[in-house]
Amino acid sequence: MDVSIFAEYGPRLLSGFGLTILCWLLGTVLGAALGLLIAVAQRYGGRSVRWVLQTYIEVIRGTPFLVQLFLLYYGGPMIGLRLDPLPAGLLGLTIYGSPYFAEIFRSAFRAVPLGLIEAGRAIGMPELAIVRRILLPVGLVSALPALVNFSIILTKETVILSIITVPELMYQTQYMATMTFTYLEGYLALALFFWGFVEVISRLGRRLERRITRHLIERS
Amino acid sequence: MKLTTTFTAALFGLSALSLAAPAMADQLADVQEAGKIVTATDMHYAPFDMIVDGEYQGMTKDLFDGVTAELGVTPVYQDIPWTAELPGLEVGKFDIVIAPVTITPERLERYTFTLPIADATVSLIKPAGSDLVKPEDIAGKTVGVQQGTAQFKQLQTFGDSLGGITIKEYGTNDEAFADLGAGRLDAVAASMPNATTLVKARPEQFALFEPAQFGEPTYFGWVLRPGEDSASLAAAINDALLKMTDDGRVKEIQEKWLGAYTELPREVPGS
Amino acid sequence: MFSLSTFLDAFWPLTLAARYTLLVSGLGIALGLVIGAFVCVLALSKSRAARTVAALWVSYLRGVPMLVQLLVVFFLLPVIGINVPAIVAAVVTTAIVASAYISEIWRGAILALPRGQTEAAIAIGMRPRDTWTRIILPQAVALSIPQLINELILLVKASSLVSVVGVMEITRASQAQAGVTFRPLEAYLAAACLYLVINLCLAALGRWLEHRMAV
Repeated sequence: MDVSIFAEYGPRLLSGFGLTILCWLLGTVLGAALGLLIAVAQRYGGRSVRWVLQTYIEVIRGTPFLVQLFLLYYGGPMIGLRLDPLPAGLLGLTIYGSPYFAEIFRSAFRAVPLGLIEAGRAIGMPELAIVRRILLPVGLVSALPALVNFSIILTKETVILSIITVPELMYQTQYMATMTFTYLEGYLALALFFWGFVEVISRLGRRLERRITRHLIERS
Repeated sequence: MKLTTTFTAALFGLSALSLAAPAMADQLADVQEAGKIVTATDMHYAPFDMIVDGEYQGMTKDLFDGVTAELGVTPVYQDIPWTAELPGLEVGKFDIVIAPVTITPERLERYTFTLPIADATVSLIKPAGSDLVKPEDIAGKTVGVQQGTAQFKQLQTFGDSLGGITIKEYGTNDEAFADLGAGRLDAVAASMPNATTLVKARPEQFALFEPAQFGEPTYFGWVLRPGEDSASLAAAINDALLKMTDDGRVKEIQEKWLGAYTELPREVPGS
Repeated sequence: MFSLSTFLDAFWPLTLAARYTLLVSGLGIALGLVIGAFVCVLALSKSRAARTVAALWVSYLRGVPMLVQLLVVFFLLPVIGINVPAIVAAVVTTAIVASAYISEIWRGAILALPRGQTEAAIAIGMRPRDTWTRIILPQAVALSIPQLINELILLVKASSLVSVVGVMEITRASQAQAGVTFRPLEAYLAAACLYLVINLCLAALGRWLEHRMAV
């Protein structure tokens, strides 16, 4: 293997990896926030709100991210939505992830014992406080494994941002590959980067899970 | 070179089995014995390769049909996206890449090329109704091009000579054209045949610069693995191409797909 | 600007290509269920070595993008002398990637069953085999149906990647369509509609199954 290639293109690959992490992090946080809003609106919204949100969820979940992103970035200007690659990519990731996050929150809310909510109402808590102080803290604990799992799936969706010229890891790897013909080396580097990245996320996820469920484990 | 090939094998968990010592010695004999030649091309690059009503057609197919008839073998056509073509060729997944690949000095060091099959000189496309006219007008503008192509390097050199342009690189020409349509780019640089076909297909949206071409003349060729093994096959394909040039078949095919005939070099440029 | 006729014309070729999308994702999940069950057995086994193998399998397949794995399968096998057709490489890769997710889904479903049930089975003298086939598996399968349907929907969308080894499925067909018309937006929009139809049908199937198998 020609190590000099990695010496020359190393900085590019590293900056790509940095951008991949940034896109993943922002995409996950914003997607989860939007998903949470949707889940809460579904719980408290009227019939028409629920119907609109359900349609949104079905459409976004039913179509591939590649197709969504292409239409958003290259089709957006047709309806006056002209975004730069990075904002378009982040918006795309947020939209793509939101229905999955919404479903995770929705089932987590359903798993919260009804008695807790009724107790909250009985002592006169307003609905907002019930969401903030009962649904969220209790629901998040049971939703955590699913949240980590989906955020892992999102790491790999970030490679699709390369088609709208966001210079993330896939884009930079392809750049190196086409300039130096090191396709196989490039894909190997990509595989190792992602494997390591996902391992780190799942380890952090498991540690977080242990930490926040500590109070549930009986002390013996 | 050998190190790279060995690494390729190691990459796929096969460090024990070195690719550097393949069993075959003469690819032409192997192909003729099998009675078929396995090809790879990206079937969305008009007018060379396209799928119309489920059928593969285009200039590449007509040319390669002629060549394989001369060789007495049956072609097997496969649609493989560009990113997987050269890696697949290197590990022996196909015998030849018949996607039009621009012949460059860097690529000649790494692969064996056949004779040119078409003019690849870089051309500039603009949105219909744009104020830009001649290639020099792109000075200071934003121009799109496919990543890592020969057209990219020519555009870079040309841009520098004009005092600087902003180059945006795309994975494929499709995305560059889409972004030109979306209004984010002032121009796109692409090979002459592809640019001409685009403008002919969507005259209401795109137009060519006048003159459209700039830079050094370059050519498309087909790609084989490097080394002794492929030498016999490359020679046989080149003989067939020359024969087809001399009896007028190449001219006929070019006029059918490009609308005009360009005489091509009779040896691989730069080799 | 937007060409309605190009959009409508794209549907027939894309519908033909949808056969490959369905073939790859359908066979992929079917094989994935078998391999996934096997991996799940390893993961729940008492042997430390077996658990390590299962953990590595899941970690590698979930960690590495499917595109890269496809290239590995497609380009690795010919090197050792097995030249599989593109469609086989596509199905095999989809199946092994799916197996990693499916084994986790099943492991989760089995672990979610109340322990008391197994203990009760043992207490009334049920043999371990019967405990599995009559108590644990029927409930675990029913519990995992929604997640398995979700996985299938994800696979339908992920199958767009198999175009990289030369399978003409929906996404690839829409690119081919755009290559002739130079109108990618129309082609991609048509692709989006087809994916949506397929996945809405799957989601409906999932709700029906969930309803029928409700425990």
